[in-house]
Amino acid sequence: MHELPQQLANGLILGSLYGLIAIGYTMVYGIVQLINFAHGEIFMTGGFGALTTYLILPPGTGLWLALPLMLLGGVLISVIVAVAAERFAYRPLRGAPKLAPLITAIGLSLALQQVVEQFYPGAKSGRSFPQLPGGPYHIGSVTLQPADIFLFVAAPLCMGALAAFVGKTRTGRGMQATAQDPDTAKLMGINTDRIIVIAFALGAAFAAVAAVGWGLRYGQVSPTMGFLAGLKAFTAAVLGGIGNIYGAMLGGLVLGVAEALATAYIQEIPGMHQLGGGSWANVWAFVLLIVVLLVRPQGLLGERVADRA
Amino acid sequence: MTTQTVPAPRPEGTAAATPLLEASGVVMRFGGLTAVNNVDLTVNTGEIVGLIGPNGAGKTTFFNCLTGLYVPTEGTVRYQGTVLPPKPHLVTSAGIARTFQNIRLFANMTVLENVLVGRHTRTKEGLLSALLRGPGYKKAEAEGREKAMELLEFIGLDHKADHLSRNLPYGEQRKLEIARAMASEPGLLLLDEPTAGMNPQETRAAEELVFAIRDKGISILVIEHDMRFIFNLCDRTAVLVQGQKIVEGDKETVQNDERVITAYLGAPLEGATDTAASTEADQ
Amino acid sequence: MTTTKSPALPLPLPAAKALVLAGGLATAASTFIHWTWTSEFPGDLTVDGYPGGLQILTLAAGLLIALFSLPLYGVKGTRWLTPAGPNAPVLVLGAAAAATTWFTLIAIATELGGLANLEPGGWIAGVASLLPLIGALGLPQTGPTVGLPSSGGVLAITRHYLGSFTRLVGPNPDLAPVKPLNRWVETLIIIAVAGLGLTVFTYGIVTEYGELFIGFLILTALGTWALMRAGLVSRLTALTARHRGTTTAAAFAAAAAFPFTQSDDHFASVGVNILIFATVALGLNVVVGLAGLLDLGYVAFLGVGAYAAALVSGSTSSPVGLHLPFWGAALVGMAAALVFGVVIGAPTLRLRGDYLAIVTLGFGEIFRIAVNSLDGVSGPKVTNGPNGIRNIPDLDILGFDFGQAHTFGSFTLGRFANYFLLMLLVTAFVVTVFSRANDSRIGRAWVAIREDETAAQAMGINGFKLKLLAFALGAALAGLAGTVMAHVSYSVVPDPYQFAGAVPPNSAFLVAAVVLGGMGTIAGPLLGATLLYLIPEKLVFLKEYQLLVFGIALVLLMRLRPEGLIANRRAQLEFHDKDTDTAAPAETDDAPASTDPGSTAGLTTAGA
Repeated sequence: MHELPQQLANGLILGSLYGLIAIGYTMVYGIVQLINFAHGEIFMTGGFGALTTYLILPPGTGLWLALPLMLLGGVLISVIVAVAAERFAYRPLRGAPKLAPLITAIGLSLALQQVVEQFYPGAKSGRSFPQLPGGPYHIGSVTLQPADIFLFVAAPLCMGALAAFVGKTRTGRGMQATAQDPDTAKLMGINTDRIIVIAFALGAAFAAVAAVGWGLRYGQVSPTMGFLAGLKAFTAAVLGGIGNIYGAMLGGLVLGVAEALATAYIQEIPGMHQLGGGSWANVWAFVLLIVVLLVRPQGLLGERVADRA
Repeated sequence: MTTQTVPAPRPEGTAAATPLLEASGVVMRFGGLTAVNNVDLTVNTGEIVGLIGPNGAGKTTFFNCLTGLYVPTEGTVRYQGTVLPPKPHLVTSAGIARTFQNIRLFANMTVLENVLVGRHTRTKEGLLSALLRGPGYKKAEAEGREKAMELLEFIGLDHKADHLSRNLPYGEQRKLEIARAMASEPGLLLLDEPTAGMNPQETRAAEELVFAIRDKGISILVIEHDMRFIFNLCDRTAVLVQGQKIVEGDKETVQNDERVITAYLGAPLEGATDTAASTEADQ
Repeated sequence: MTTTKSPALPLPLPAAKALVLAGGLATAASTFIHWTWTSEFPGDLTVDGYPGGLQILTLAAGLLIALFSLPLYGVKGTRWLTPAGPNAPVLVLGAAAAATTWFTLIAIATELGGLANLEPGGWIAGVASLLPLIGALGLPQTGPTVGLPSSGGVLAITRHYLGSFTRLVGPNPDLAPVKPLNRWVETLIIIAVAGLGLTVFTYGIVTEYGELFIGFLILTALGTWALMRAGLVSRLTALTARHRGTTTAAAFAAAAAFPFTQSDDHFASVGVNILIFATVALGLNVVVGLAGLLDLGYVAFLGVGAYAAALVSGSTSSPVGLHLPFWGAALVGMAAALVFGVVIGAPTLRLRGDYLAIVTLGFGEIFRIAVNSLDGVSGPKVTNGPNGIRNIPDLDILGFDFGQAHTFGSFTLGRFANYFLLMLLVTAFVVTVFSRANDSRIGRAWVAIREDETAAQAMGINGFKLKLLAFALGAALAGLAGTVMAHVSYSVVPDPYQFAGAVPPNSAFLVAAVVLGGMGTIAGPLLGATLLYLIPEKLVFLKEYQLLVFGIALVLLMRLRPEGLIANRRAQLEFHDKDTDTAAPAETDDAPASTDPGSTAGLTTAGA
């Protein structure tokens, strides 16, 4: 299966997953300069929330009806977790030295992962996620599964909605202002606390959408799914320019495509035949992160920020 | 990893007109904003030069260009004839030291430790030396402490050597910043609003201090808003308005220049008296 | 704020004092009666006349109370026990006795299924152990009086009441220095304290069952608090500061004596592991605690060192056919880790600290994946993949075979005991490196960078170079520890080198150890690693939930006491910015069998 179009399609799908998760990282970082380590786990709880919703629904509910409800359930859970985290773990540490919220985030990430692993029935070995019926669909030389269609639709929709929200609504503009200069924003009457909560919530919501997409695509949700996905999504956010929501999606797509291509093609390069393949994909993603940080640390769409003495 | 102190490149010239710092055509642009627009400034050895201007005129930005914190978009800055390296720590090593507009002491270190850190660039004991603790190391540490204490005596804080710098009263914190900057044995000291927040007695004491520093052979470039302080102190003063130098000269020249008066007060008035000493961030 | 206020309980003073003394003695005496009728509860608390298991803890508590009631009564020659006044320490000790005893009683009841399982002896002990506490509450205390908070709702009010005991006890005292005693007397004191520390520490390690360990923790924690509140700890700290060399030697000797106190090798293996993790935590402390760089993939450096050493130590499964002596393997391990440290650090240390956290996290994961895949199938054959490198031969240094048990007179040193002593040397080395680096021009520069990097650069400090130095040094130290670890466990496999896993070491564990113990101090990470290793070991039921507890603990710690258990003076000030200006000096805890000279590694003390 080494045809380029298929690989590209795979990459874009994977990338849209990363991008949706990356939005959460980038929004929070842009406003409060915090890497929300626990965001990967928020993504994960969204997945489990969606699964739970599905399990609650009467059996036999068509998946195309259940899907919106699952999305709702996932979003609900992930948003609750994110907002609670912001309110009780991060907000009290706003003035503290940088290390404190970072460590809190790590602790939170661990705790969330473990709570799900220990207390959600059957979570340890992964729970199977319902699949969309139908497919596979063939477009030219590319084969797509229904899950892929879902992502191809959901990701742009989410981006569009976000763009409209940030650019056109008062709250959205308030977010931009807070990201640029929180003190002045406050002086202008913007409720920065509320803005921050909204940022967390939005990020969580998109992550939940991604989680549903993930579950549909891979057929499974597990407590550890957030860790690696979160790491890569953060890479995507940096790649695209941290703080820039378009950058997040762009970075995600670039990363997804790079990963797909690396997995497929690196082993073709003479001498490197043992360094391609699934397990090395993560290594290459990481190498990409390092290269980006070296060559263009502000990311694709980011701007250099001057340090004010 | 030797244990000798590295002597500062102290300028040797005694003639007052030997240029120490030459900034020519310095331009600093941030995206669409030109913060510093084609500024020339020279500081000669043994001089005290003042830099004044309304808030937002670009004075601190200009300072940052002189210390490697910003790399000027255009123009050059030469110290002792050589173009400045673009990294702040190299600039300090070359002989320019500075204080900050908003005090940036190492709050949780003691007074003595702050000054010792200031000496960093004039000492060479690296990690290996610290780990091996040979006799050279101990000598260097003792010497460092001695010199630091000397500096503290000079500015009058030696009795508080072991106090945490955050516990000092404001005026003393400013003095400590100066001592810390002096610890790197500079040839040129840049002072950014050293008397901000000081009462008149403290300001007079600061004046004496600056003269004493000059007498030690260090040239000084100072940003200030307190006019009396500036004109008592400086041999020459340059005025920066909206990033451009509009006039430079001695007290009479500057005080009577209409453009200066307009820039500060907006209407012609007798003499350029002190404007409100606000501490808004200077861009 | 040191006004003496009226006591919490309105008792006449002589009655209060009597209660304390009598209660203490009664508590001690009650341990000689049996508390339960069945030996199903571990420790055999069924025999009269012989205190067993948890009863010993109560006995100790009771005797301590009796001892400290001497200064309470103003007995001549005992005032030195409580330089800051006896009322508060006695209160804490009373709480300790009550807590320990009641914990035991409740444990008995819960495990055996009902209060009926408690014999009258148990009830007597329960009552007796409350007497000193009641008496102590009748003593006037000098803690600050704080009114109910006016805002903050239920949460704030709850916090207010939860803190009331702590407020009653009051802050640890800031004592004026006192004339030093005769040099020999002071030396003897140091030796005695080291010995005491060893005893306490050994007791803790050797506890055979979880309940005893919990009781031990309760007693030790509250007991230490009492000693701190009494001012004994700060006197001791001042004393050890005067005799750095002796203290170090005594601590080292005490630690070295540990394996000799064991008749079998099992606890020596616990000891070695603690030492290894404590040392690695100390290495991480250089990076996180001194330079302020958050490294979340630190365990990878441990792994690099372990693998590198394993490859050159003559293992049969190593594709490299070298068998270097220990020092050679150690150098290889350190060098390999150092190289990786530089490779990872160089691109990322130029950037914001947040990025470093993620990148190091990624590197940690990548390391494990890479090492797992370099098995000749999915990658070139270097590390044998999931099987790892096994059968690493035991060390043989100067004819001393580490794999064999050796007998010295009546003492036997088993295999783990041998490695314990070797690791102790490594630990001592790392402690020296840390302490010397901290108290030096480089150490100051690191702290300056952490405080304000821009200002530091303006002072001529090359931020990048120094950060890289810290990072590389930390990596090298981890590599060194890895070398020993490879030999101790015969083999090196990829499994343990994760960010978070059930088995230490893993990066989350290490970060937690440093943070919990106290960043920037020497004793802090040592204590943190010890606790974090022992607690899941001893409390087996906790093992499953270990990571969950870690996570919650980290979150709570950052909220309540971000500076950790052993507070570095600077960190305490950094984190409690909004508190009063004249901050009380950080109390440094004399952790058992560990070198403490560095916890006041403040740079104002002259000398190395």
